[in-house]
Amino acid sequence: MKAMPKLAPAAPELVHLTITEASRLIAARRLSPVELVEAFLARIAATEDRLHAYITVLGDEALAAARQAEADIAAGRYKGPLHGIPFAVKDNYHVVGVRTTGASRLMLDYVADETATAIERLTAAGAILLGKLNTWEYGTGTGEIHDDLPFPLARNPWNTDRFTGGSSTGAGVAVAAGSAMFALGSDTGGSVRLPAAAAGVQGMKATYGVVSRAGILPNCWSLDVAGPLTWTCEDNALVLRTIAGHDPRDPGSADRLVPDYLQGIGAGIAGMVIGVIRDLGPDAPSMQPDTRANLEAMEAVLEDLGARLVEISLPAPLSGYRQIVGAINWGESYSIHERDFLERADLMGKALRDKMTAGFTMRAVDYIAAQRRRRELAQSTDAVLSACDAVLAPCTFLTAPTFDDQETLTKFTFGAATSIFNATGHPALSICNGFDADGMPTSAQIVGRWFDEATVYRVARAYEAATPWRAERPVL
Amino acid sequence: MSQTTAAAAPSPVVPDHPPTAAAAAREIAAGRLSPVDLVEACLRRIEAVDGTIHSFVYVDAERALAAARHAEAEIAAGRSRGPLHGIPFAAKDNYDAAGLPTCGGSRLMAGTVADRDAILVAAMKNAGAILLGKLSTWEYGTGNGGEYFDLPIPTTRNPWDTQRFAGGSSTGAGAAVAAGTTVIALGSDTTGSVRLPASACGVVGLRPTHGLLDKAGMIANCYSMDVPGPLAWTVEDAALVLRALAGPSATVAPAPTRPASLSGLRIGVILDPGPGMAGPDAALVTAFTEGLTVLEELGAELFEISLPVPAAECFLAASVIGSSESAAIHEAELRERPQDMGFALRDKLMRGAMTRASDYLAAQRVRRMVADALDRTIRTYDAVVTFGAFHVAPRLGVEPEMTAFTADTMLTPFSLSGHPSLVQCNGFTGSGLPLHWQIVGRRFAEANILKIAAAYEAATTWRLRRPTL
Amino acid sequence: MTDTTPWTIDEIAAYAARYGLTRLEPAHLERMREIADKVALASAAIPRMPRKSDEPAPVFRVPLT
Repeated sequence: MKAMPKLAPAAPELVHLTITEASRLIAARRLSPVELVEAFLARIAATEDRLHAYITVLGDEALAAARQAEADIAAGRYKGPLHGIPFAVKDNYHVVGVRTTGASRLMLDYVADETATAIERLTAAGAILLGKLNTWEYGTGTGEIHDDLPFPLARNPWNTDRFTGGSSTGAGVAVAAGSAMFALGSDTGGSVRLPAAAAGVQGMKATYGVVSRAGILPNCWSLDVAGPLTWTCEDNALVLRTIAGHDPRDPGSADRLVPDYLQGIGAGIAGMVIGVIRDLGPDAPSMQPDTRANLEAMEAVLEDLGARLVEISLPAPLSGYRQIVGAINWGESYSIHERDFLERADLMGKALRDKMTAGFTMRAVDYIAAQRRRRELAQSTDAVLSACDAVLAPCTFLTAPTFDDQETLTKFTFGAATSIFNATGHPALSICNGFDADGMPTSAQIVGRWFDEATVYRVARAYEAATPWRAERPVL
Repeated sequence: MSQTTAAAAPSPVVPDHPPTAAAAAREIAAGRLSPVDLVEACLRRIEAVDGTIHSFVYVDAERALAAARHAEAEIAAGRSRGPLHGIPFAAKDNYDAAGLPTCGGSRLMAGTVADRDAILVAAMKNAGAILLGKLSTWEYGTGNGGEYFDLPIPTTRNPWDTQRFAGGSSTGAGAAVAAGTTVIALGSDTTGSVRLPASACGVVGLRPTHGLLDKAGMIANCYSMDVPGPLAWTVEDAALVLRALAGPSATVAPAPTRPASLSGLRIGVILDPGPGMAGPDAALVTAFTEGLTVLEELGAELFEISLPVPAAECFLAASVIGSSESAAIHEAELRERPQDMGFALRDKLMRGAMTRASDYLAAQRVRRMVADALDRTIRTYDAVVTFGAFHVAPRLGVEPEMTAFTADTMLTPFSLSGHPSLVQCNGFTGSGLPLHWQIVGRRFAEANILKIAAAYEAATTWRLRRPTL
Repeated sequence: MTDTTPWTIDEIAAYAARYGLTRLEPAHLERMREIADKVALASAAIPRMPRKSDEPAPVFRVPLT
């Protein structure tokens, strides 16, 4: 189903290096972090009028950090593979002294007094923050787009008439377009994986509790998972390895050791049992033919690589998971933003205001019922998933639609198979598995057992290495 | 051979009352007492007094005697299972026990017979203890409010004064231990349902750390606060039971035998519940103050500390959490059979049914703040001593007294925070009603509070008094 | 923050019916009206946490225990 994609230039520009490639050059002192950051700032300057990936660009700060990195490395104080690597974060991550807007009129003047733990860990590893990325208001995603937020809509670099996926709208765009080498988003029902899917990059929602949520504006405490979007799976493992691990500032943080996801990432998948979820129940959206064809082709690739594929079925239809995630999100989001809603609801965009209204009318028994059902679903789903080494599941049922079609937009977001794994807490990576006839990227999810991100990366990396999709970049 | 430890004094022998578990275990080990005699003693006691106090809702004499004969044979054959082997116990009627009804004090469950034991009942049986039957409870463990005499079971009476309340919701558990209709009782505590009966009846009630004990096979009342726990006449007995309940994998210290000294222990003392709640009765204050002197004489260092969040605020949050979760648990019954409920349960469920998610979540957020603040306070000490209830056992049917007894307490802060807490008798009023205090420990440090309570118990004479029935 | 003016019996009847409490007797509904007022007051009295990151006590964790 592969139409001719727009081909990128043969010699990769600096902004299209992977983290792994760039850090090899930096470690060998053949590339200066200053040169790299300048290239990214130039790319931002050249593309932002079309993409609107950023809400805030921290150009001076990034250049200062790059010069420091350059000096440190020259003096022999090389910190490791993220030293000098430029990244950006969804604008719900706090950075001391920097504005956090959450793309909301309610927070346009809010200057943070703390820094997210994930960012602290990245900057301690030498990575350089370029800026804050576009998002739906407070991370809210009903699927509908009303263009009523204080910032222009981010646009898909593969086709700027197309949607970017949300709620981390700028994160997938920036990574695909080369205006950030990697990005951090946050995922309540799919908000890392959907932008990754729309933009053809790899987005990881790790096991609930693996990545600290401290210092990130919450959307829904019991579902929110922070995670990286990157061009390759290896890059993703590298970033996750750096941000993962116990954080006493986050009450949901899991207190366990983080394995080195890069160890054995290239070991292949021969002999692995990979479950395949094909049927998500009668009320799942119909799948666009190209998306289906690419999923089937992906199954064949995994089999060729030596995995044994076994069809599995989930204990509930997709709608059963979505309903639970929706109800929990109403209740918790309302509790989080109650004062904003009661005092300044008029400043909210329609999507957020709608969600707050739902939370307002919700009863405690209904919220508790949703949490009870969630526990049951998580356990019964785990029983199915844990019988396999990893699982292949659909991600979105269609490629990113144009902005003018509200119904298809909702289907792209609300119909996606991502919320299942927010409900159950399992790690799920959305991975690009080809393109449709219009040259828009398609995607799938690779899912693992609780805390087994390593196997997810191993499967994803084997697939990525066996397919040509990483050679193609959007042309802007 | 009763010269085990220097401090081990023989337990007081009270006519008609069974001995404590620890004393009985020593006698059984020495071959001077048979589990059959012990079970028969409890059955006789039930026969003699339970028509008055109504601690049991169901007595399984036949199976208890069969189990006692089996235990006797095992012990005679040298296969002792430890100190609880042959010791009679009874469970609040919200625990399942295979072959026995589980009714939770409710018409809604009439005719329900359990087909397996709750995990903790099974743990007691594995330790060799003998189940006598099931104990009275307020409906589904509903613990606040008054007594409305509208449940399908007779109202439990306080053995120290049968016109008075025995504490709830584990109404039968405190009364049974005090009256000697059982040696050990298993209760459950959401916002005080082990500790209130212990306080009303002058026995030891332990609410272990949240999460230490497995709740499988019990009727849920409030998922996030329910904690099962033992009631016993002495601290040593409560410790023996805790060890059996927690299982071999848990790190629970051995039962303390009468420690002579508390020297080196730093104990925080909380006196004031903060604004919004009436303080303790004068008799409780006097007993508390005298108790502190005993602790000091035992060598403990005392520090006055304050409750980081007013007890009234804790009670409010606990009420919202409790009623909301109960309403979620029993939602279908409220819809379908509200007329079969007693007033107290229906009241609570209607309240919960109308609570909004935002209010429940707000209460759970307050709870985290309380738990963190209390933990910071408690962590600095080996234990904290404070009041339990602020009143002695109230008169049944006297509504303001009843409600004040269940609502004005220092119990809910630790229900919210999940710290282990123990209530024990620390004296009597002039008219012979038991007084009490509460000892709270660091999470999973039951050993400290048991040690302090055991030392206090050994240094005082309160265990020599039993109710006369 | 919350309107604590008393509920009317009609509001209560409608609310109860809306959430499926259709078998309550009139005396139960009257009692519910009294409770509703208490709930409104109690709900309004629950302090709201100052920061959005102040979480509820039981958080979701895996593996489930």
